[in-house]
Amino acid sequence: MPQLLVIAVFLPLVGAAITLVLASKAPQLARWMALATSLATLVIAMVITRGFLQTPLVRGAAANSATYASVDRPWLTDGAPVDIRMSLGLDGLGVWMFALSALLMVTSILVSWKAIDRGQPLFYAMLLLLECGCLGVFTARDLILFYVFFEFTLIPLFFLIGIWGSEERRYAASKFFIYTLAGSILTFLGLLTIVLHYYFVTGGDRLVFSIPTLTTFLGENPLPVATQVWVFLALFAGFAVKVPLFPLHTWLPLAHVQAPTAGSVFLAGILLKIGTYGFIRFNIPMLPDATAMFVPWLLGLSVAGIVYGALVALAQSDIKRLIAYSSVSHLGFCMLGLFALNRIGVQGAMLQMVNHGISTGALFALVGMLYERYHTREIADYGGLARRLPIMAFFMLLFTFSSIGLPGLNGFTGEFMVLLGMFQRGWAEGPAALSHPLRVISVLSLLGVVLGAWYMLWLVQRVFFGPLKEPPQAGNHHEAANDLNGREIAALVPLAVLVFWIGLCPQFFLRPVAPAVNAAMTVAQGRLDAGPGSAPGEEVVAIVSSPEPQHAN
Amino acid sequence: MPIDGTAIELLLPEIIIGSAATILFLGGTFVSSRGLWRTVCGLVFVVAAVVLFRQHGLTLDETLRAGPLQLDQLGLSARWLSLAMGICFVWIVSRDGVDHLTGERLGMVLLAFAGLMIVGWSGDLILLFLGLELISIPSYVLLFVGRSDRSSSEAATKYFFLSLLSSAVMMFGFALLYGVAGTTDLTLMGARINGLSDDGFGRFLPLAIVFVFSGLGFKIAAVPFHFYAPDVYQATTNGNAGLLAVVPKIAGFVALLRLFPLVLVSTSKFGWQVALILAVLTMTIGNVCALWQSNIRRLMAYSSIAHAGYMLIGLAVALVAGDQRNGYGGFAACLFYLVVYSFASAGTFAVLAHLSTPSQEINCLNDLSGLFQNRPIVAGLLAVFMFSLMGIPPLAGFWGKFTLFTGAVATSRSLAGSQSMWYLVLAIIGALNAAIAAAYYLRVVGVTFFSSAEGDLGSPRISGSVVAAVACASMVLVLGFYPAPTMEHFRQVGNSINQAAASSMSNESITAQYDTGESPHIVPANLP
Repeated sequence: MPQLLVIAVFLPLVGAAITLVLASKAPQLARWMALATSLATLVIAMVITRGFLQTPLVRGAAANSATYASVDRPWLTDGAPVDIRMSLGLDGLGVWMFALSALLMVTSILVSWKAIDRGQPLFYAMLLLLECGCLGVFTARDLILFYVFFEFTLIPLFFLIGIWGSEERRYAASKFFIYTLAGSILTFLGLLTIVLHYYFVTGGDRLVFSIPTLTTFLGENPLPVATQVWVFLALFAGFAVKVPLFPLHTWLPLAHVQAPTAGSVFLAGILLKIGTYGFIRFNIPMLPDATAMFVPWLLGLSVAGIVYGALVALAQSDIKRLIAYSSVSHLGFCMLGLFALNRIGVQGAMLQMVNHGISTGALFALVGMLYERYHTREIADYGGLARRLPIMAFFMLLFTFSSIGLPGLNGFTGEFMVLLGMFQRGWAEGPAALSHPLRVISVLSLLGVVLGAWYMLWLVQRVFFGPLKEPPQAGNHHEAANDLNGREIAALVPLAVLVFWIGLCPQFFLRPVAPAVNAAMTVAQGRLDAGPGSAPGEEVVAIVSSPEPQHAN
Repeated sequence: MPIDGTAIELLLPEIIIGSAATILFLGGTFVSSRGLWRTVCGLVFVVAAVVLFRQHGLTLDETLRAGPLQLDQLGLSARWLSLAMGICFVWIVSRDGVDHLTGERLGMVLLAFAGLMIVGWSGDLILLFLGLELISIPSYVLLFVGRSDRSSSEAATKYFFLSLLSSAVMMFGFALLYGVAGTTDLTLMGARINGLSDDGFGRFLPLAIVFVFSGLGFKIAAVPFHFYAPDVYQATTNGNAGLLAVVPKIAGFVALLRLFPLVLVSTSKFGWQVALILAVLTMTIGNVCALWQSNIRRLMAYSSIAHAGYMLIGLAVALVAGDQRNGYGGFAACLFYLVVYSFASAGTFAVLAHLSTPSQEINCLNDLSGLFQNRPIVAGLLAVFMFSLMGIPPLAGFWGKFTLFTGAVATSRSLAGSQSMWYLVLAIIGALNAAIAAAYYLRVVGVTFFSSAEGDLGSPRISGSVVAAVACASMVLVLGFYPAPTMEHFRQVGNSINQAAASSMSNESITAQYDTGESPHIVPANLP
C-alpha cells in the first residue's frame, strides 16, 4: 500500500512528462494521455482510500501521529544537519481531499476536452503537475516536502491562467502568484521557527522536519506564548491568502474569472482547501494558545467574508464572478467551523471543505460548458435556457441546491454542523468574556445562508427560467446549442452521486475523519474553553484588546 | 614566500588556461574561425579539469600550503565552480560580436577565469590582488573589443574607471592590513590581527576592513557600490553582462570568505551590524529598483544586486555564529547560494545571448514576447532560470533560500535580546524581498509565455549558448531535486573556514589578553 501511495502522487508527474514529450508530435494524443493518467491515478487513489477506510481507526491523542500507508525515505539526510525526508502518508485530515483531488482532475480534463484548442500538450501536462502538487500537499508528512508541494502548485496554475485564460490573464496570473508567494514565504519562516524550537529544546544534532513528531511534541510542550503569536501570524499569512480569508481575497475573483474552466474547477475545488487544511494541520494542533487567542479575530474575519462575499456575489452580472465570490462566502463557513473549535464545528468544516469542492467545482464546470456554447458569461444575455438545455438545467439546479444547503444534499450537512458548532461556541461553551461578540458572529453567519440562497437561486432563475433568450452563438448562428453530451455528463455524474451520498449518509464520511480532527483540536479547544480565567487567558485579554498583536520573540 | 616546484605543479590548471589564452591571442590574428577557437577553449578547460581532478588525492584531507597558495576545500570548490562557469561562458561569449575577433574575445575569457581560479585559492594578499586584477583587466577589454558604438564605449569607460577606483581602494585596504600585521600571508595575518589591541596598530584595522570591503563590495555589486552595474550591463552585450554578473560576484564572495575569518574577532563589535544592514539594503534596493525596469539587462543587473544581498545574509549569520547551531551555517549558505545563483544567472544570459544576433541584441523585455510560441524549449529554459532565481521549489534557488533563512532564523533563536530581534527582522525582510522579486521575474516569464510575438525572433537554430543554457538548466534541476551532496560539501567547506578562524583565534593566549584590554606585542621579528 505505501508503494501505491507513492505511485498515486507521482504518476501524474510521469504522465505530465510523457504527455509533453510524446504528444508534441500529435497534440490530439495529449488529452487521451492525460485522461488515462488521471483515471489511473483516480483508481489507485480509490484503492488507497478504501484501504484507509478498512483500517481500524486510531483514537485519542495518538491520532495526531497515526498515518496510513506511510512511506519514509531519506532525501536530505546523509551527514547533513537536517533530516528532510521523502515522507508521505494518509490520515483523517487529508484523506477526503486526497481522494477529491484525484476525482476533480478527471472532471477538469473532461471539461477541457474541446475548450482547449491550442497548446494541448502543455495544458494537460500543467494540469497533471497541478494534480501531483495537490496530492502531495495532502499526503506530505515532512514540513519541507509539504512546502515544496505547496509552492510547486503555483507554477502550473500560473501557466494555466496566463496562457489559456481570458483577456486580463497576465495580470490575474501574476497577482495570484505574488499574493500566494508573499504569504507562503512568511509561512515558511514560521514553519522554520517551529522546527528550530524543537531543535533547540530537545538538543538533537539535526533539524527534524517530521510533521507527526513535531505535532506530538508541540501538543505536549507548547512554544512560549509570545513565540506562538508570531509563528501563528506567519503561518496565517500564507494560509489565509490561500483560503482566502477576507480581506486577503482580492486575487481570487480575478484568478477565477480569468482562468480556463479546468483551472477554475481545480482552484475552487482543491487549491483553496490547502489553506484550511494548513490551519487544521499546523496552526490548531501546533499553536494551541495562539489559536485560542486569535479565535475572536479569525471568526470575525470569517463572518465578514461570509457576508461580504455574499453581498458582492448578489451584485455581479458575470456568472463566473458570482460563483467566485460565493467561494469567498463558503470558505468563510469553513473557517468559521474550524475556529468554532468544538468537535461538531471542526468536523463540519472538514466536511464543508469537501462539499464546496464538489458543488463549486461542478458549478464552475457548468459555467464553462455554458461559455463553450454561447461565448458569454453575462447573466443578462441568458434566459429560459431550461427549455433548450434541460439536462444542463437539471445539473445546474442540483449543484445550486447542494451549494445553498438544501436538506438531503451534501451542503446542508456541512453548513448545519458548522452553524451548530458556532452557536454552541457562542451560547454554551465560549469564554464568558467573549460571549457577546461570539453571539453576534453566530447570528451574522446565518445571514450568509440566507443571502447564499438568494444569489444562487436568483442566478438560476435568470439564466434558466423565464422567457427563452439566447445570445447569438459565435461562429455558429444557425444550429441550436446542443444539450450536454456524454462526455460532459460523465464529468458531472460522479460529483452528483457524491452530492447525494454525502447528503444522505454523512456518517460514512465523518467517521474516518473524526479521530484525527479531535486529536488535532483538543488542546486548542481546552485553551479556549478555559477562557480568560486560565493562565494563558490573561494574554487573551491583553492581545484581544490591542488592535495589533505585538511581534515578539 | 618562495615559490617552489609543488606550487608550480599545483598551479598547472591556471597555467594551462593562461598559456592557452596567449596562444589564442597570437593565433586569432591569423585564423578567425569561431568554431576552431571555441573547440580549443573547450578542450583547454577539459584538460585543466583533468589536471585539477588529479590533484584531489593529495589535497582533500587538510589544508595544503605551497608558497602563496592555500589549497583547501574552499579553494578547490571555487576552482571547480570557475571551471564549470568557464566552459559555459566560452559557449556564451563566442556567440556574440564579430567573427574575426573571436580568438581575442575567448582569450580574454580564459584569462578572466584563470584569475578567478587564482582568487579561489590564494593564501596571500598579493596573489589575491593579482587574481582580482586578472579578472578585471580582461573584462575591460571584453567590454570594448569589437564594438564601436557609443553605448559600449560608455559601458567600457564607466566600468574601467570605477573598477580602477575600487581596486585602488582595495589596494589601500590591503596596504593597511599589511601595515598592521606585518605580513601578507593570510594565515599568519589572522593569528596576528586577532591578537591586536584597540589602541596600538589595531586602531587601523577597522579602517583597513572598511577599505577592503568597499573594494570587494564593488565586485559583488553590493549597495552602496552598485551604481555601475545597471548602466554597464545595459550598455554591453548579453554575453558580457553575464560574465560581469557571475565572475566578479564569485571572486568577491570567495575573497570575502577568505578574508573575513581573519578579522572575525576584531569585527565582533561591529561586523555583524554592518553585514546585516548591507544585506537588508542591498536586497531591498536591488529588488525594488528591478521592478520598474523594461530593459532586460538592467533588470538582471538589479536582480544580481539583490542576490548579492541574499548572500550577505549568510555573511551576517557567519559573523555572529558562536556555537554553530545554525543549520548549515552562514559560510555554507553563502557559498551554496553563490553556486545556485551562478548557474541560474549564467543560464539566463546564455538564453539571452542565444536569442540575440550580432545585428540585433535582445534589449527590451518586449523583445522576448512570443518566445514561447516560436521556440518553446528556449522559453522553457528561461522559465526554469526565472523560477530558480525566484526561489520556487523544487528548483535549486529554493534550497539556497532555505539554507540562508534557516541560518538567519536559527541565529535569531540562539541569541538573545536585540541581536535576536535583528536577525528575525533580517529573515522577514529577506522573505518579503523574495516575494517582491517574484513580481519582476514573473514579468519576464509572462512576456515570454503569455504575449504574442511583436518583433521577429528569427528562425530556431542551435548555438553554443543554448548548449550552455541546457547545461545550466540541468544543474539547476539536479541541485533542486537532489541538493544533498552539494549542500553537505559546502557545509564541510564552511566548517573548515570556521576552524581556520578558530585556530587563528586560539593560536596564542593573546585572545584572552585582548578581552581584558591588555595590549599584546607582536614582534615583527618572527617573520619567517
